[in-house]
Order: sequence, then C-alpha cells, then structure tokens
Amino acid sequence: MSDFAIVLRSLLARRFSTIVVVLLVAISAGLLLAILSLRTAGERAFQRGTGNAHLLVSKDGSPLVSVLNGLFYANPPKAPIAYGELAQIRASFPWAMFVPTAVGDSYRGFPVVATTGEFFSKFEPVLGEPWKFAEGRAFERSFEVVIGAGVARETGLRMGAELVLTHGSGKSREGGEAEHAHVHEEYKFTVVGILAPTSSPHDRALFSDLESTWILHAHDRFEREGKHKTVTAGDLVEEDRVVTGVLLRLPSRDPRSAPPALVAQYDKMRRDGSLTVAIPSNEVQRLFSIVASIDVLFLAMAAATLVSSGFAILLSMINSMAERRRQVAILRVLGASQARIFWLVLTESTVVGLAGAALGVVVCAVGLFAATRWLIAAHGIVIAPELDPRSAVLVAMGTTLLAAIAGIVPSVLAYRTPVARNLRPLG
Amino acid sequence: MSTQSPSQQAPALEIARLHFRYGDRGFELQLPHLTLARGEEMLLVGRSGCGKSTLLQLIAGLVDPMSGTVKVGGHDMHAVRGAARDRLRGRSIGMVFQTFNLLQGFTARENVLVALLMSDVPKSEWPARAEGLLRSLGIERLDARVEELSVGQQQRVAVARALACNPILVLADEPTASLDPDNAANAVRVLRDACREQGASLLVVSHDPSLESHFARRERLDAIGVAVGAAGGAA
Repeated sequence: MSDFAIVLRSLLARRFSTIVVVLLVAISAGLLLAILSLRTAGERAFQRGTGNAHLLVSKDGSPLVSVLNGLFYANPPKAPIAYGELAQIRASFPWAMFVPTAVGDSYRGFPVVATTGEFFSKFEPVLGEPWKFAEGRAFERSFEVVIGAGVARETGLRMGAELVLTHGSGKSREGGEAEHAHVHEEYKFTVVGILAPTSSPHDRALFSDLESTWILHAHDRFEREGKHKTVTAGDLVEEDRVVTGVLLRLPSRDPRSAPPALVAQYDKMRRDGSLTVAIPSNEVQRLFSIVASIDVLFLAMAAATLVSSGFAILLSMINSMAERRRQVAILRVLGASQARIFWLVLTESTVVGLAGAALGVVVCAVGLFAATRWLIAAHGIVIAPELDPRSAVLVAMGTTLLAAIAGIVPSVLAYRTPVARNLRPLG
Repeated sequence: MSTQSPSQQAPALEIARLHFRYGDRGFELQLPHLTLARGEEMLLVGRSGCGKSTLLQLIAGLVDPMSGTVKVGGHDMHAVRGAARDRLRGRSIGMVFQTFNLLQGFTARENVLVALLMSDVPKSEWPARAEGLLRSLGIERLDARVEELSVGQQQRVAVARALACNPILVLADEPTASLDPDNAANAVRVLRDACREQGASLLVVSHDPSLESHFARRERLDAIGVAVGAAGGAA
C-alpha cells in the first residue's frame, strides 16, 4: 500500500468518468501533437521534394506555382517552353545540371514526367540522396518507362509490364474525368525500372524520355491534320519538341549550400519576362510562411481543446467531491495530514493528465499514420509518419502540468474538508 | 510542532476542564474531568444529541475545545496542530464508527493497510500485521472489496483497522447501532476481545443501555459531569 495505490484505487472507484476524461485528454493532446508533427513533417516533406535543383525555369504564372507544378506535380503546366528557348537557356551558363522536363501526360491519374537521362544521373530527388532503383534501370530508348515506388505499390505494375498513357492528367480539377483527356492506345510503354521509395512526390510519378512524349503529341498533331499514321522520331518538328520546365544546378563545391553565383544567375534569368524562374527551396519556405498564420490558428484551436480537457478534469473531480469528502475524512481520522490529502488529490488529477498524455502520443502516432495514408491517397503528398520526440515530450509535460493545475481547486476543497461533519452516518 | 515524549505510565485518556461550544448552533459541552487507565474499558451512555459524538471528536482532535485539555497517553491532543496532531491521532487512537466508514472500493486488507500507511509501523511488518489482525477477527476473504462483505464482517474490518497501528486508545461511536441485539452483543465482544488482545483502552459511546452488561465501567454522560446545553445558558 502506498499513497499512489490510494490514488489509483480512487480513480478505479470512478472508472467510467476516469476513462472518459483520460480519453478526452488523450484526444486533445494527440490532436495538438499531430498538428505539431504534421507541420514539421510537412515542411520537411516539401523540402525533400525540391531535391538538388538550384533553379526551376518554366512558363507558369508564378515561381510558387512553377514549383508546385514542376516538382510536386500538382497540375500539368499550361504554357510550354519552346525548343529554341530551351537551347538559349542551356547556352546561357555552364550548368552543372540541365534537366528539361515535360509534365502533362498521366497513367491512371499518376503524372508522367518526360525527361532526359540526366534526370537519373544528376538530379537528386532528395538533396544528398541520389536515385536508387529497387529493380531494373533508367530508360535508354523511347517508350521505356521508369515508375516511382508509390506507383508500383498502388498500381501493381511490375518489370516488363506494358502500359498506355493518357494525354492530360485524366482528371479534371474537380476530380472527375477531364473532358480533353484521351488515351494513346497506339503507343505502348514498357516498364524497365522501379525506383526505390524517396518519401517525395516523385514516388507517385512515372518517367519516360522526352522523345516518346513528343511522338505522342506529334501523333495528335497529325490526327488534327487528318493524317493517320504511326509517328516516329523522324516525323518530329521543332514545334513538337517542347518542354514544361527545366531543372538547373550551378557548379558548386559544397553540394549542400547554394553557390555565390546563384543569386546573380537568378536575377539575370528573371530579366527575361517570358520565363518564370524559381529557387525551389525558397518557394517552399515562402509557401510555409503563407500558411503559417493558418497553422497558428490550428495550433490555437488544438491548444484550446487541450485547455477544455483540463476543465473536464476539474469538473469530473468536483463532481466526485461528495464521495471524496467521506474518503478524505476517513483518511484524516487515520492520521493523514491536510497537506497529504492535498497532494493525494493533486496526484490524482496529474495521473489523469499523464495517462491522457501517454495515450495521446499513441493516438497521435495512429492519427499520423492514418493522415499520411490519406494525404498519399488524396493528394499525393508523401509525409513520413514521424512523431517528433521533442514535441511529444513538450506536449506530454504541458498536458500533465495542465492537469495538475486543474486539480488545484479540488485539492484545496479536499484540504479544507471538515472531518467531523463528513464522518456522520449517510442518509 | 510538539516535542512531548510519550509516557508509558500516563493514563490512556485524561480530560480536564473541557469546554466546547458550537458558536453557530447554540450547543455547548462541558466535562470537568475524566480518566481512562491503560487497558481499561468504559461505556458512556447518553441519549441522542447529548454530545457523545462531539466528545469523541474532541478526544480525537478533530474539533478544538474552547478550553481544557485532552491527553491521550500523556500527549495533549490540542497542544499540537496540523500534521503533528494528525500524526499523533494516527499513532495513538483508533476509531470505530456506527457506519464503519470503510474506504469503499478498497479490499478488507487494503483498508487495514491504509491505516498502517499513516503509522510508524515498519513497512516490512504491514502485510503480516494486516493479515494477522483480519484473520484473528474471523475475516477470511481478505481481498474482497468491503462492500462485498456482510455487515458483521465490515464491522470486524473496521475493528481491525482501528487496531492496526497499536493505538493506546480505541474510540467506538455507536458501534452497534446498525446491528440487531444478537449481532450487537457479538460485535461488542469482538471489539472488547480485540482491544484486550492488543492492549488498547476502549471507550464506547452509545445510546443503547443494553450494552451496559458488557462493561465493568459504565457511566451516563450526565453522571460524570458532562453538561450539555444552549450556548451562553446554564449547562
């Protein structure tokens, strides 16, 4: 027998209200922790997706949209970069990496990125982490396709599988089938490589060479002109050879830091008003500074929920004061001091807070896992379900402290319980 | 904080010129003198409302008198306050109530262990002492919750708890009021036997005159000088 055993017995005696209050505290603490963890994980996931590109050039409306479309595949970019412009960009600087991309086709809703071999040899999906192939290799010729880990998992595509692409995303912005989407049944692609997971949006994309995409679009051009034929690379004209973005990297001694020439090159390219130039890592930071105020609002709401759970502890303990007064009086008769009674009741509320906080961490871990699955399924955002240990400790400590504060009033009431009056026969 | 040292020769209970008044209730109690020797048993009988329970609360230090002294084993209960008095009460006095006042939701064993938790008895002795006391009083279901026990068994648990800390004095407030005459006689026998075995003095207060046959020393409250009356009036 110990003081703590008395506390546990007292809580078990009011099993139902104890469980309800612990669950309430757990949900509140879990919610707060989930928001904190998702915020950190979300920012990290977006930062991961930008990879090692110093610059992204496109013709999207703004640098942020450019990054969202070009690296996170939010929507197919509308305006293409012509072949001549592409050549000018290549010639404008001794780039360490020059990777053109054309995003616009899809396979069962997953974006198809047409690009060059340098995409796999020079572009790193996550800074410092080059591509790894779970199976197979990079594409080497037209109509070969490499699929991301998420695509492989969700479509069941395996090495050697054949597939046809849809022109357009295949989905309207409202989520239904897009009106202008059509399937290129004539051209079959073969899966030659499956990428290892990167925990970035690239996991949910397919990758083919530029020439294949250009051939598909040239086929459309011929159809529009009423010419029905199997298009080959020889039929391509400059008009077909368009891209939607270019990933650029400047020469740099330290791969993890931006080279001094970056800002000058960024400014120089921006002078060409027809191009949208973005520094991907800056745009992700800007995105998070935009959503920061909403973020704070969510955090405040979660904190308010947590405070309300503190009131629930207070009310639950006040409600049980009638039976508690008798117990307090008995303990006093047995020799417990008023201070000891105060600490017993305070410990009781603290234990409720601690149990709620511990359960909250579990609720958060489960919630994060569920949220991660939902984000992948609904929006293609890959966020690793990582519980930030520092946040978990802080939220658990805060919750326990809040519960202890909520227990002060009941503890004072117990402290002041008149003994003689509460020892009289009931009824 | 008291620095009094216990005295083995001091009476179990010694009351002198005790005066108590409930200011807001018009109730007043006076007791010129009362002594209970070590190991002695005494029954105080009085009608309802004559101040029996108040007297026990004064002895236990649960309420403070206007004046006078209450010494238990030589310690003046009202000379110390707060935690020191609570500790003194826990070590020196065991109490048995009409409704037993057991801790609901706790087992029989735990009810006794809680009393030991407040005592000076070494922790290593607690399990054996609790079990020994309960078994000696005929309780076999030590780990049954007290609300699952019969009324008679609950009373025995209450007696075991009162004796757990080797008290000098056991105070019993209407211990048979909830029992029929046969069980009442049995309960008093159990209480007396247990106190005798533990060497504790026993002071029973009751309105029931049928208990008088069980006690060699029995008094009516008014006969020992307890005067109860309206505050400010002649008591």
